[in-house]
Amino acid sequence: MRLEIKKFGDILTSRPAGKEAFLAMSAYTIRDVSRNEELIIDFDGVKVLTPSWADEVITKLASEFKNVKLENTDNPSIQATLKTLREYSDLKI
Amino acid sequence: MEKLVKEWLIAEPTAAEQASEYYCDSRTIFQSRLDRLTSELSQKGILKDNLEYLISAVVGEIGNNSFDHNIGNWPDVKGVFFGSEMTDDIIRIILADRGLGLFATLKRVKPELSDDKDAMRVGFIERISGRAPEPRGNGLKFVRESVRGYKMHLTFYSGYAKGDFNEDMVIIENTEKIAGCMAILTLNI
Repeated sequence: MRLEIKKFGDILTSRPAGKEAFLAMSAYTIRDVSRNEELIIDFDGVKVLTPSWADEVITKLASEFKNVKLENTDNPSIQATLKTLREYSDLKI
Repeated sequence: MEKLVKEWLIAEPTAAEQASEYYCDSRTIFQSRLDRLTSELSQKGILKDNLEYLISAVVGEIGNNSFDHNIGNWPDVKGVFFGSEMTDDIIRIILADRGLGLFATLKRVKPELSDDKDAMRVGFIERISGRAPEPRGNGLKFVRESVRGYKMHLTFYSGYAKGDFNEDMVIIENTEKIAGCMAILTLNI
């Protein structure tokens, strides 16, 4: 499945907002999706991403799903955030 | 702007809580002003490679840290001071809070911390969170890496510690005490 992050906003900064997004996607978007299915996390249209928001969403998705791919990560705040999560939050993708 | 923020940091609570274009008493107000700054920087088109979005992320982490680590524990005035100024050559963004500061926040989870300088060093380098056991604590590391990677300059104050961050990190004792935190982010255009 393809998860379009821009549907949760294009400036994604705070941890509470990340928690809310993860709760919402858990209830609606990914509830019935097999954790073995490929999950494509698409950052197209996202302008600002911070480790606080991403730690509540991307880190959790990566630990739940076995096959996760990231797309459209060219933006510098997305690049820097993913680097931080890989280094300090054990993000493996 | 530096004069204004220092006045705000020591003002009587009733004066510091006065509505102004700089004082954000809630995360919602801070976020909306940060969104506006991001949009203004984007519209001006003065930064290469969408750098305004990384600046916004750095400022967002610092400002949201103030709310995350002081919620329910503000000594007197809740919220942050958030302002920016631009010339033809420089963008300068200032944030401050009247919260507990790095030392009091981190000493709860790392009792061996000795002083403000030690707390600042640990906060910017080590994998540690003042809100342990919540698995978090990567915000200041992200700030430091972003400042270093994109040739910004950050001066960070907390208690009697002053840290200068660019390609290097230098933390010294400051003669003036900042109760809470103050950050000055500078970028040459």
